[in-house]
Amino acid sequence: MTLSVDIRKKLGKFTLDVRFETAGGILALLGASGSGKSMTLKCIAGIETPDEGRIELDGLTLFDSEKRVNLPTRERKVGYLFQHYALFPNMTALENVMAAVSGSKAEKRRIAEERLKSMYLLDSKDKYPAQISGGQQQRVALARMLVREPNIIMLDEPLSALDSYLKWQLEMELVDIFRGFDKPVVYVTHNRNEVYRVSDDVCVLENGASEPVVSTHELFLAPRTLAAALISGCKNFSRARRTGPRSVFAVDWGVELVTEAPVPGDVQYLGVRSHAIKAVGAELNRAGKPADAASGDPGNRGAANAPLPATNVLSCRVGKVVREMFSVIAMVRPEESEPASDFARIRVKMINDKWAALGEPVPPGRIHIRIDPAEILLLK
Amino acid sequence: MVFSPILLSIEVAVCATSVSFVLGLFIAKQVVKLRRLKSLVDGILTLPLVLPPTVVGFFLLLTFGRNGLLGDMLAAMDVSVVFTLAGAIIAATVVSFPLMYRSARGAFEQFDRDLIYAGRTIGMSETKIFWRVIMPGCKPGIISGLVLTFARALGEFGATIMLAGNIPGKTQTMSLAIYSAVASGNREKAYMWVAIIMLISFTCMFLMNIFAARTRKSVKAGAAAGSIIKDEKSLPEGTAIL
Amino acid sequence: MKMKKIGLLCISLILVVSLGLAACEIKNSDEMGSDKDEKAKTEKTVELNVLAAASMTDVLNELGETYKATHKDVKLNFSYGSSGALQTQIEEGAPADIFISAGAKQMDALAEKNLIAADTRKDLLGNDVVLVTPKDSKLGLTSFEDVASDKVKRVAVGGENVPVGQYTQQVFEYYKVWDKIKAKASLGEDVRQVLSWVESGDADCGIVYKTDALTTDKVTVAAAAAADTHKPVLYPEAVVAASKNQDAAKEFLEFLSSPEAKAVFEKAGFTVL
Repeated sequence: MTLSVDIRKKLGKFTLDVRFETAGGILALLGASGSGKSMTLKCIAGIETPDEGRIELDGLTLFDSEKRVNLPTRERKVGYLFQHYALFPNMTALENVMAAVSGSKAEKRRIAEERLKSMYLLDSKDKYPAQISGGQQQRVALARMLVREPNIIMLDEPLSALDSYLKWQLEMELVDIFRGFDKPVVYVTHNRNEVYRVSDDVCVLENGASEPVVSTHELFLAPRTLAAALISGCKNFSRARRTGPRSVFAVDWGVELVTEAPVPGDVQYLGVRSHAIKAVGAELNRAGKPADAASGDPGNRGAANAPLPATNVLSCRVGKVVREMFSVIAMVRPEESEPASDFARIRVKMINDKWAALGEPVPPGRIHIRIDPAEILLLK
Repeated sequence: MVFSPILLSIEVAVCATSVSFVLGLFIAKQVVKLRRLKSLVDGILTLPLVLPPTVVGFFLLLTFGRNGLLGDMLAAMDVSVVFTLAGAIIAATVVSFPLMYRSARGAFEQFDRDLIYAGRTIGMSETKIFWRVIMPGCKPGIISGLVLTFARALGEFGATIMLAGNIPGKTQTMSLAIYSAVASGNREKAYMWVAIIMLISFTCMFLMNIFAARTRKSVKAGAAAGSIIKDEKSLPEGTAIL
Repeated sequence: MKMKKIGLLCISLILVVSLGLAACEIKNSDEMGSDKDEKAKTEKTVELNVLAAASMTDVLNELGETYKATHKDVKLNFSYGSSGALQTQIEEGAPADIFISAGAKQMDALAEKNLIAADTRKDLLGNDVVLVTPKDSKLGLTSFEDVASDKVKRVAVGGENVPVGQYTQQVFEYYKVWDKIKAKASLGEDVRQVLSWVESGDADCGIVYKTDALTTDKVTVAAAAAADTHKPVLYPEAVVAASKNQDAAKEFLEFLSSPEAKAVFEKAGFTVL
């Protein structure tokens, strides 16, 4: 059971150019709004027609511009869960599901009721969509979609309309349904946490163009491109130049960094997640090494004076400080940075106590940060 | 015979509304699908609403008169439209059509397209989608269109007198009867017709508005399905095990 | 669910009623058709479409009833409208047989295009231009010249494009007071509007046709304009050239000039010529 998509479509200035393949499991299409995620789903469902390319599902050609194949939506056997579920408001839950079944009326009713029962919805079968909760609505929509036994399930931001409490439960329900479905699932979202929790593979979409499909694990732990790193939530970037097998020069930060991983020759950017950046102290000690404030106890001078490796330490000026309930986010600028560079801002997050230990520097106070060599993402 | 204008008016209005209803829905559906020339087609279809009815009547006379293109063809089949009830129905239809068409178009355009797509993905036929999904959702707009169309057709005067003439017992509707009564100085008769046409119009509008309000309420309740009701107890116990 | 049923019921009801009515209509015309056929066996029935000025509605309806009693083979369809609209209908080939206009202008236009049978044209009626005052008027106006006096504050007259307005201007110009009148004139869209203003007392006096003045008891005729003060007000009649029922049409026109018809016209205030 494979879905292979290779399509292009021009929409004014926007060009959709998407290519991916999935053999099963849950594939997330991850991208910001306007990146063409929903349009891709609509092309697969046959709601929109690509300008050119091919879409194949389970050996059946759904669309082929060269062979002039364009199956109508209703013959594609695709399950599509719309963002707001698109339940027919004038029909009861049962009627909604029955609308997806063919056969005699009695038969329809029997099949639909069975499906509703398996989704714990029998009690609400005679209620209208407006009369049931968001969770129930989602389940009715899923029932309506699954009762046709589609060859693929596609979901368009199914959880975006829900508040966070309901989201968790529905997400778990969804995953459970996906796991019991042995055919491809394509899941569109802009929420990377959702991707991390739900999907097996990820295809990142950026301005209509797709990146190669990678496993979710790879996207989050070892993104390979700037776009993938951005979308996986990494916030600190610098242009990078290889200076040695395990060292790289961060152009925007004006500093050479040591990495744990070997540096590829074509490295263009490096990225560091906020959690991999530690504030190490306000001033360097006499040995040219920073006084470590991480010990958190200002009375313990001994620990503060302990020698620390000076590698990957940047001296920075505090720019902006944002206080949250339990933590502080400081936007800092390396002192050696190119002043005009957009990438020169580094986001450091720490718990309140640690910020206090640093003496709560106010802009443009100086702090030192250290970047963990194991956490540097080398990007193209 | 004395009350023939009432029957004629109702007959003309009902026939014109029925024709406008079917045509208006059909054409609105087609126009919504148009990509190019949409505003041009829309303009042409709305023209009868903008033009003075007498002018519309004049154009209809040009078309259906013996010198006109259609009139010529119809005359060959021994069918006459001018000075007949058919003419009155045509005039009322043409003038009232834009109201139905525009209401239907507005309703269709505002309709949530995802519902149509959803219907397709679950294998419903286009006909089924139209009658079971689109029409119920567009009911309030279509009903208000019907009300307007009927009201306009019932009161039509300018185009009717031009195309169908003002023949008592044959094409003289209430509006024309009022005109004749006023023109010949027959005040009492004019007042009577005015009272009757107002009574009929009010009754029709009243009934249709009640109906429309009820429908709107029920559709509104349904439309709220898009917004999510937060109900923490909505999940049955079985799902907690997930 | 209930609402849906009511909705369906209403829509189907509307459709059924309309279809029913349409069916009735077809049946009616069928009956009429078979009627015709039956009659055709014994005597030939003709339908005459008579296009007449709207101001003649009542008299012609009355005369039509009378004519029907003696001419069972003729069915008269009167269609009333403004003379200009009727002229347009004939020009565009509407199936008209007889045209009775409230002015010579429209008839002249049709004659020019040979759309009326020239030999059948005849000035059927004349009308007087009269000065009317509200019934309770205390101004004591007795002549058209009185209107120029300062006690009259507002005069209702037809506008420049309205036939009665043109006659009014001619009358006042004859008396050389038009400029004074013009300054205090309210211009009506048609003769009916002029009459309503006088009836309601909004105008101190107004100038209308005699036939209009006779339709209401709320105004008094103060004076009639002498024949030489304005062009004659004429109602010409003619058979339409394209009519397929020339003989029947001529016969009806003859009836309109009969003494019997004359009485009806005169009762309404027309001058029979």
